[in-house]
Amino acid sequence: MAVQYLNVVNRDQCIGCFSCMYACSRMVRNAGGSGKAALRVKGYAGVEGAFSIRVCARCEDPDCAKACPTGALTPAPNGGVRLKKDLCISCGACVKACAISALQWDEEERQPIPCIFCGQCVKYCPNDVLAMTEKPEGEDRR
Amino acid sequence: MTGRTLHVDLGSGTGRILDDGPAFSEWLGGSAAATELLFRHGDPKGDPLAPESPVIFAIGPFSALFPVATKTAALFKSPLTGELGESHAGGRLAMSLREAGIDALVITGRADRPSYLAIENDTVAVKSASTFWGQSATATDRILREAESKTGRKISVVRIGPAGERLSPMACATVDGSRHFGRLGLGAVLGSKNLKAIVVSGTKTLPLANPKEFKAVYDVLYDRVVRSKEMKKYHDLGTAANVKPLSMIRGLPTRNFSQGNFEGADAISGERFAEKFLVQHTACAHCQCGCIHLAELREEFAPYHYSTNRVSYDYELIYAMGSMLSLSSPEDILKLLLATEKQGWDVISLGCTLAWATESFLRGNLSLEETGGLSLSFGDGAAYLEVLERTAKGQGEFYRDLEKGCAFCSGKYGGEEWAVQYGGAEPGGYMTGENFAVTCMMGVRHSHLDDTGYSIDQKLLNAAQPLEDQVRAQVKEAQWRMVLNSLMICLFARGVYDEEVILRGLDALGLEWDAEKLQTMSEKALLRKYEWKALCGFDHGSVKIPEKMYSVQTATGLMDRDSLEERLRLYREYAGLKS
Ligand code: SF4
Ligand code: SF4
Ligand code: SF4
Repeated sequence: MAVQYLNVVNRDQCIGCFSCMYACSRMVRNAGGSGKAALRVKGYAGVEGAFSIRVCARCEDPDCAKACPTGALTPAPNGGVRLKKDLCISCGACVKACAISALQWDEEERQPIPCIFCGQCVKYCPNDVLAMTEKPEGEDRR
Repeated sequence: MTGRTLHVDLGSGTGRILDDGPAFSEWLGGSAAATELLFRHGDPKGDPLAPESPVIFAIGPFSALFPVATKTAALFKSPLTGELGESHAGGRLAMSLREAGIDALVITGRADRPSYLAIENDTVAVKSASTFWGQSATATDRILREAESKTGRKISVVRIGPAGERLSPMACATVDGSRHFGRLGLGAVLGSKNLKAIVVSGTKTLPLANPKEFKAVYDVLYDRVVRSKEMKKYHDLGTAANVKPLSMIRGLPTRNFSQGNFEGADAISGERFAEKFLVQHTACAHCQCGCIHLAELREEFAPYHYSTNRVSYDYELIYAMGSMLSLSSPEDILKLLLATEKQGWDVISLGCTLAWATESFLRGNLSLEETGGLSLSFGDGAAYLEVLERTAKGQGEFYRDLEKGCAFCSGKYGGEEWAVQYGGAEPGGYMTGENFAVTCMMGVRHSHLDDTGYSIDQKLLNAAQPLEDQVRAQVKEAQWRMVLNSLMICLFARGVYDEEVILRGLDALGLEWDAEKLQTMSEKALLRKYEWKALCGFDHGSVKIPEKMYSVQTATGLMDRDSLEERLRLYREYAGLKS
């Protein structure tokens, strides 16, 4: 199968239900709640109903991995990153290096949460905001 | 669900974690568990606005785990009715409490100066709110969302507006984006504690006892939420869809319950609001339905200069500020709703009280002297806006009294016959007949949501049903809602959550319940609430309906005294109450 990208295709249809985040935590990490999601839905103070969805861009040369001082976070062969948990020193440099704030932080484990592009979040979005696509498309994504 | 309770004493500014496990294992959680905590911490004889009077928030076992378990229960002694105060709100509060690992939050005491409470996981801080005491509920949200935002974290902000600070017994507490603990005056209780706001955030996740079964149950629910017709209607037009059909059957309270059909119903229908004003749907955290409808109100404040505000609307709001006041312009309604939202009033109580005042004025019961020269008349949106402004500023005794509700005002100024309130609480927007009247009188919260009286009335239009069966169905529903309200499921999802899937869900979480245990709990929980009400002095045998209601046509015709009496008798019998 071709490499899949996670895309925000209909940002303005988002209702801010967080179903995608709950899905990622539940399906990928077996956790109840939303705290282990590899994506984030953000609202804005004072702008009721405006949401921005931050998903991993599956970079070929990821800034987050470059920022990692220990080699715990490394580029994956087809873009994106993978994490060697035992090398991670919880410094948070990776998350800070991601300009689009897509790389999420697991507050319990104190480690980043790399997206695995499995598409579970897409499946549980009731409003077709997210899609798995073969190319990283579009310019009004987040 | 472990019954981990955070007890905050505002007097000393400290918080401690208590184990209330038994309340949760015996009573499921949410509304029923909170009732037990109210028995434990509250004095039914006490002053609702005294420092020691507790506010109890509780969530349920499904919170943050299953879809649409979005509600948090707040229990307190109501300054409006003087008995059980209970109100439920959505937003992100349930999620945040769960992720902070808190199943119940008990707040007592009074802070020595304007304060807000910041809860982050296990840390509790009482912080100064001196700089924004007096600010609107909307401004307070903007302020705290910035002050308390952690990198990217989702926080929940519960706050009161100036109405709560003034201790108006119809003040609400607003949660996140346009969700409310609307009814029975929680805002005043928080105000009396000098508590402007509560901010909650957490970072915990929950281990799953049986992930495979959990996911299977989740998928059943998800499918129902996303695909069922039941929930779709709440998303599409929302509850505002009811404006037209209810008016058509004479069930839409108009001009202070004078009639049930409003000639302006088309103009303020859900369809009209959606076509002309709806700009966005939003959702409570973990609800894929998204029933929150935001309208855009654009106003010209100077030639070619406009201000724009987003205002949420739904059926009850359109009833309270629309048909009740004979307003058939959505803009007029939205302006009143915006003012209400900023002040932090309960819109149902406020709308009913404005309608009472208007009828009183028209009957000559109130004079220009009392209203400070302002003529009140149904349909005059500008005058109502002026009333709200004077009330907010406390301009004169009459306006200071107005925000104390129908019962208080009619007690003082007369006009009790047309003050539409039941046990001190103003009703939801239904003029369907006797079943609804019984809901208002007997419902533990005097709320249309306590059972399903208004829909039983509507079914009678298609097929007659013996009176006993109607009342039995009503009581059964009141009991069943003890289960839903203890799981803290949004009642819009009541069609999604049947007993079978609830038991499967509880089982997947490793909680031991069966049908019989649920049934017993629901019956007992209802009685426990009546017990607390009785201790407060509420007598379910003597609650009355406003005299006016006997002379108006409801959807099912005129109400009959004897039949109503019989219904109340049966209600008490079926619920197991001693007369
Ligand atoms: S937090 Fe871990 S993965 Fe991220 S940069 Fe630091 S060591 Fe690397
Ligand atoms: S694609 Fe999979 S791992 Fe990535 S955000 Fe969605 S659910 Fe999580
Ligand atoms: S599931 Fe879809 S609609 Fe809901 S928050 Fe995520 S992207 Fe938005």
